[in-house]
Amino acid sequence: MKEKPLPVPDRDSAPFWEGVRAGELRLQRCNGCGSYRWPARAICNHCHSFDTDWLAVSARGTVTSWVRTHQAFMRAFQDEIPYAVIQVQLDEQDDIQMIGRLADPGLEPTIGMRVRADFAPADGDPPLVVWHPIEQL
Amino acid sequence: MAFDLADRGAIAGVGYTEFSKNSGVSTLTLALRAIMAALDDAGLPPNRLDGIATHRVGDSIPSAVVAQAVGIRDLSYFVDQFGGGGSSHAVVGQAALAVASGVADYVVCYRAINARSEFRMGGTARPAVDSVETQYQAPYGYVAPPQQYAMVAQAYMHRYGITPRHLAAVAMTQRRHAEKNARALMRAPMSYDDYLASRMVADPFRLLDCCLETDGAVAILVCSPERARDLRQPPVLVRAAAWGGGQTLFSNRQPPPGTSSAAVMVPRLYKKAGLGPADVDVAMIYDCFTAAVLIQLEDYGFCAKGEGGDFVLSGATALGGSLPVNTHGGFLSEGYVHGWNHIAEAVQQLRGAAGDRQVPGAKIALSTGAPGYVGGVTSALLLRGT
Ligand SMILES: [Zn+2]
Repeated sequence: MKEKPLPVPDRDSAPFWEGVRAGELRLQRCNGCGSYRWPARAICNHCHSFDTDWLAVSARGTVTSWVRTHQAFMRAFQDEIPYAVIQVQLDEQDDIQMIGRLADPGLEPTIGMRVRADFAPADGDPPLVVWHPIEQL
Repeated sequence: MAFDLADRGAIAGVGYTEFSKNSGVSTLTLALRAIMAALDDAGLPPNRLDGIATHRVGDSIPSAVVAQAVGIRDLSYFVDQFGGGGSSHAVVGQAALAVASGVADYVVCYRAINARSEFRMGGTARPAVDSVETQYQAPYGYVAPPQQYAMVAQAYMHRYGITPRHLAAVAMTQRRHAEKNARALMRAPMSYDDYLASRMVADPFRLLDCCLETDGAVAILVCSPERARDLRQPPVLVRAAAWGGGQTLFSNRQPPPGTSSAAVMVPRLYKKAGLGPADVDVAMIYDCFTAAVLIQLEDYGFCAKGEGGDFVLSGATALGGSLPVNTHGGFLSEGYVHGWNHIAEAVQQLRGAAGDRQVPGAKIALSTGAPGYVGGVTSALLLRGT
């Protein structure tokens, strides 16, 4: 059985994965213009400032798309087929979209589903981000 | 004064290898076979070549090795670009720039892949792409182009009410075209039931929504129109070339759902050509997956946003329709050489050499590269027959 790919933090993304390990979703926010950016990188693509802070965000968002995979593109995921991967738009900024999974693999994702992040232990370290539906009142 | 590329580069030769599931030969051999076929098509002696160009994603032989094998002694132009299908048409556009500016006289551009028997896209044998995004995606089992395009398609279909019937119309129209193409790998008639019965790959894509993983190569010979007129075939002029895009789906500032990076580039392409969508007689639209055709038909201005599905269902993109699309059967039915068999088919149409699938009187052809999902960049050519 081939091992699943684990996140491989790089020099730009290390603070993101540190956040995940600490149970927080942290993103870079530009000190020049205040916009969040994704994925992690040194410069703001709006105002070109290098001045940035890592801030914990609400970790809430909306499912904007999803795909159910029926073919084992990687042998490590063979046993999970079919599995759904979701795309989540964060509440903080509508052009930030993260790829992830619902915590409950039996749950059918829908576009528009409200979700919140949780941090699941993967087979290794750091853990991964998974998402729970937010109960609608 | 701005440099005007319009009609200053020409495609003088086109070469193909056989398309197959197992070529049994190296990508170097595939490249050489396609290149020699293109030179033969043009009637150009190999010793006249002084430029070579390709793109790769770690899956094919470098252009310098091919140049040595062809015996180019004084290479004046080479490109070995990293990139997938979004780069395909840029390689030919750059060659047009090179010959128009006098950097080189005869540039052969090619793509050679054993995409079925050696390097399967998204397969585990493939080296990691140079992407900052992979680390945020691969751990969730999200790695392959069908998944990435399916993510786009799901949001697009939801937003615009696109149904499997619309996707099937793309696959079925192109299969009917492939029935007239001896080179095509898939020529058996396809019904809507056949489409529905094909296995799910990545929702909403079934197998018949996906391009064929193919072993093969295509080569395109580019030179000035003056030089091309001295060769065997009627020159096909590069009326305009454009490349651009830049944002991937997951980079903030990405295009809105259901719109590709090509939408940003398209106005520039038409402006450079002095043409609009209504002037296009035949189009080769990058069809790695069915939904990509619908989105590009909209982004290239052939119909309004969200109407690509109805446009294809109406028969407009079939032979005999107002805009025949992928007359060779496309990547879905002819074979998938990462954008290059589209350029070759556009040339055949403009030469009037497309046989049973000829669009009568075709003068202007559009050919498009991957629309900028995944890698973020895209490219396209507007070609003119003479
Ligand atoms: Zn900024």
